[in-house]
Amino acid sequence: MKLRELFVPSAIKLDLAAETKDEALRELVSCMGLDEKSEGILYKMLKRRENLGSTGIGRGIAIPHCRSLVVTRLRVAFGRKLSGLDFKAIDEKPVRYVFLIVAPPLEVSNQYLPVLGKIAQFGKEADVPESLAEISSPEQFIELLDAKDL
Amino acid sequence: MHQQLELLLQIQDLRMQRRGLTDGTLTDLETDVFDIKVEDAIRSLDEKVEELAGELTRRIRERYCRIADKAPRVVAPVINGICYGCFVAVSTARASEADRNLRVESCEYCGCFLYHVA
Ligand SMILES: [Zn+2]
Repeated sequence: MKLRELFVPSAIKLDLAAETKDEALRELVSCMGLDEKSEGILYKMLKRRENLGSTGIGRGIAIPHCRSLVVTRLRVAFGRKLSGLDFKAIDEKPVRYVFLIVAPPLEVSNQYLPVLGKIAQFGKEADVPESLAEISSPEQFIELLDAKDL
Repeated sequence: MHQQLELLLQIQDLRMQRRGLTDGTLTDLETDVFDIKVEDAIRSLDEKVEELAGELTRRIRERYCRIADKAPRVVAPVINGICYGCFVAVSTARASEADRNLRVESCEYCGCFLYHVA
């Protein structure tokens, strides 16, 4: 499964309204099309994961992730905040690009770990932060993944 | 959703996260990419589970403890009428799936608490 097949345009936010890490998590969770209760549970779970250690991996990229019963299949979202968010990242630099990954506890195709790994690998590529800054539409985001054959 | 079921769901999600760190599936990614200290993370997850379990009513907590001691899964999703704890069809009720989450139900076969996935 290619990453580009997992991202839907409605879950690619190139101009997050969020001003804080918590608001960014809420904004991306709201892209998942869940009911309010499920959104609340998912948000709490993501926050608890962040409390174990920031998912900000450096160079402006964060990858909040968790498994939760409230989702029925692997879901991903991307959010960009060019002015930066304080994510308590590993390099202590502001986060501009947030990749959210959530999966149910049981997945037939077991994609959660490979997808998490692929996004982490993507985030570590030297040119990626700059490319993510330049895109101006969800389609261009998908094209970027395409160009990386992800 | 029933408030007690909501607590159980949160407990189950945390137990799942803990399991990923102890069975090795998540350990490499969490340590190499995210720089997580596994022992600290497990301790923190255990504390949170304990705290949430403390908010369960006595009757539900007793049932929870009985299941939690012997199986990793305390809450099983029900998808299309099948309990994913034991893969047996659970009795169909007239209430819609979402309404059924207003009650705390257990699977009569495997004992898991049931969460009806909409
Ligand atoms: Zn069952």
